[in-house]
Amino acid sequence: MVAAHHRKWIGDRMTQTTTDQADQRIAKMTDKPPFWRDVRKLSWGFQIAVLSIVLFVLYILYNNVRVNSQNLGIPINFDFLGQPSGFTIPANPLRETQAVKHAFVQGYLNTLRVAVVGLLLSTILGIAVGIGRLSGNWLIRNLTRIYVEIIRNIPLLGIVMFSYLALVLSVLPKTEDSWSLGALFLGNNRGMTVPWITGSMPLFLGLVLVAGIIAWAVRTWRQKTSERTGEPGREMLWSVPIFLLIVFWGAVILGNGLTTPSLEGRKVEGGMTMQPEYFALLVALVLYTASHIGEIVRGSIQAVPKGQNEAASALALSSWQRMRHIVLPQALRVAVPSLGNQYLNLVKNSSLGFVISYFELVKVTSTTIGNRSPAVPAYMLMMCLYLATSLVVSALVNYANRRMQVAS
Amino acid sequence: MRKTSALWALLMALVLASAACTSATSDGEAADSSGTTADAGTDDGGDDATDDGGDDATDDGGETVELTQGGGLLASVQAAGELKCGTRDALAGFAVLQGDGTHVGFDSDFCRVIAAAVLGDAEAVDHVDLETADRFTALQSGVVDVLVRNTTWTASRDGSEGATFLQTNFYDGQGMLVNAGSYANLGDMDGSVICVAAGTTTEGNVASEFERLGMGVEVLSFEDNDLIQEAFTNDRCDGWSADSSALSGIRANFPDGPDAVTILPEVFSKEPLGPAVADGDTQWAQAVEWAIFATIQAEEFGITQSNVDSFLTSDNPNIQKFLGVEIDGASLDPGLGLPTDFAYQVIKQVGNYAEIFERHLAPLGLSRGVNALWSDGGLLYAPPYR
Repeated sequence: MVAAHHRKWIGDRMTQTTTDQADQRIAKMTDKPPFWRDVRKLSWGFQIAVLSIVLFVLYILYNNVRVNSQNLGIPINFDFLGQPSGFTIPANPLRETQAVKHAFVQGYLNTLRVAVVGLLLSTILGIAVGIGRLSGNWLIRNLTRIYVEIIRNIPLLGIVMFSYLALVLSVLPKTEDSWSLGALFLGNNRGMTVPWITGSMPLFLGLVLVAGIIAWAVRTWRQKTSERTGEPGREMLWSVPIFLLIVFWGAVILGNGLTTPSLEGRKVEGGMTMQPEYFALLVALVLYTASHIGEIVRGSIQAVPKGQNEAASALALSSWQRMRHIVLPQALRVAVPSLGNQYLNLVKNSSLGFVISYFELVKVTSTTIGNRSPAVPAYMLMMCLYLATSLVVSALVNYANRRMQVAS
Repeated sequence: MRKTSALWALLMALVLASAACTSATSDGEAADSSGTTADAGTDDGGDDATDDGGDDATDDGGETVELTQGGGLLASVQAAGELKCGTRDALAGFAVLQGDGTHVGFDSDFCRVIAAAVLGDAEAVDHVDLETADRFTALQSGVVDVLVRNTTWTASRDGSEGATFLQTNFYDGQGMLVNAGSYANLGDMDGSVICVAAGTTTEGNVASEFERLGMGVEVLSFEDNDLIQEAFTNDRCDGWSADSSALSGIRANFPDGPDAVTILPEVFSKEPLGPAVADGDTQWAQAVEWAIFATIQAEEFGITQSNVDSFLTSDNPNIQKFLGVEIDGASLDPGLGLPTDFAYQVIKQVGNYAEIFERHLAPLGLSRGVNALWSDGGLLYAPPYR
């Protein structure tokens, strides 16, 4: 590029000299410039300089921490993980005599619990909102638009606090006037409780898996029969009862039972309880993330060429079929990288649970520091766990992205 | 190409700027710490302290600045002319930030006591409001010179938070606040939910007390008291646990009136609250400690804010030494690095222990209890000033 430019310029100026002479001069000028003019060498030098400065700064920071902690007699190591934690975690089995590492494990699991469920729900809600934003229905279009514009323009911390103060503390009833659906549901500000399985959980999950496989096999068999004979398959009518029967009798044989929620004084006994703090955080995270995902989905749908939709209409597909089979598969392919960013944000944003006493990783970390764990290593551990989680999420998104790309 | 180089240039500028700032501070600190290491362990530090107290602290600014480079916090506070005191903004009776920007309370007054002793001016205090979870980090990093933020003295805080706890100025214990009529004592509270402030020993105390009683409770912890109050009044939690003194203040100011809530009779922990300084500077620790002692000693002598001037002519040699009155042309200088009249300044400007207590804690309905003088059967006892 440069050489060609030169040649043209020099050529224009030196119409008198012979082409040979001109070529020689140009060769002299472009072959071996001095190193301060060699872009490649310069950029190398520049990068080395920047890198060494960055390393130097990091070293100074590290050394500051090390020297200052040494002077103050604060250890920088991970021995504190074996010390007794000294606190308990609501709705978790941690005892105050158990080691700090157990607290970290439970805190991390709580983070995952809210992140995974949050990912699923916000994706579903986000796609619905994204479709709604483009709906032909005036009401749906404008409702989703108001939702998106309000929620995505409020800081998440505000939504979390509002969700806790307004939803959990004000709307959920006190234990005396709990919402109750007999043995099926019990809701109050101590949590929302549904019936749950007792006995060995792994055995029960295994049972569900086996029943699922059998039910699936029956469904496939019915489909095949239907295709062969042309009679209606009635797949669901066969497979669902079979699944339920296997699970029911299997559970009876394996000794699994059912506990139903009941109120003893102010305490909820039995069943599976969703903590109010978890609920508040989940609602806030899902609402916030879905408002962003909705915009991504809307943009991606708009990025699908109009002709696709028109061609689908020409094939007499219904609007649902067009969306489900033609538009969405192409739109989501465009959306995946941006969705990945939202997923990463959601995982990290779950740390805001700490303001409403949801014991996720950050809350556990700051609580152990309050109970005499050293701050610097504890925060380092916390950051590493977040980093690892984010890298895994990121890798999964990249994998999905590669899988969904059209081969080119 | 142009875009990339612009990016590089920006990055470079950022890196250079941060490098400049960081290396400047770290250089300073490195020099400081090496100075301290050289001094520590030898008797240099002690000598410095004596010289300092003897000649310079009163007038010569130049000398004091020179001492700052020696590494002592006492000298650098005196050079700065202001005490950075770690405190809080909303604990009734102990430290409350008023609308006009002043701090009022028992702890705030002890910040003033230290400033009066070290600087001769009780108002030369920068009250730094700290979150509970940040307080030790602030102390370790030098954001504050001293922490007077009703902080409990425990072995692990002494050991691994890099803090040195000094003379306890308030002996407290943890209690439980519940809605009036809901529970009669701790033993009834099985299966209840307890709210506490995050990052305190309170959290662990509740856990271990109920573990001892063999009962299960859930402990929710929040960053600030307003949120706890919101959760408590909405019945999200059945009990609110904190130091008894703090609970008295909360009860006195409870939105539905003090009779809507009761404090259970049990006190289930020892909570000695006192000032703390960072490890490694004995001279500063002693200066702060003797400022606290001065308020206790003054009460023992019966010296108050209003009658302190009349004691300047006292015949009692102990009182003369204590107030820094000149005897035969010289006043007693025990070599703490404090001005010789520091006790006089403390009493004149802030008052003795009883006065500070009456001013801030008595209105909450707290009685002296174990916080009485040793001569009245309490725990407060100051070593002799001689």
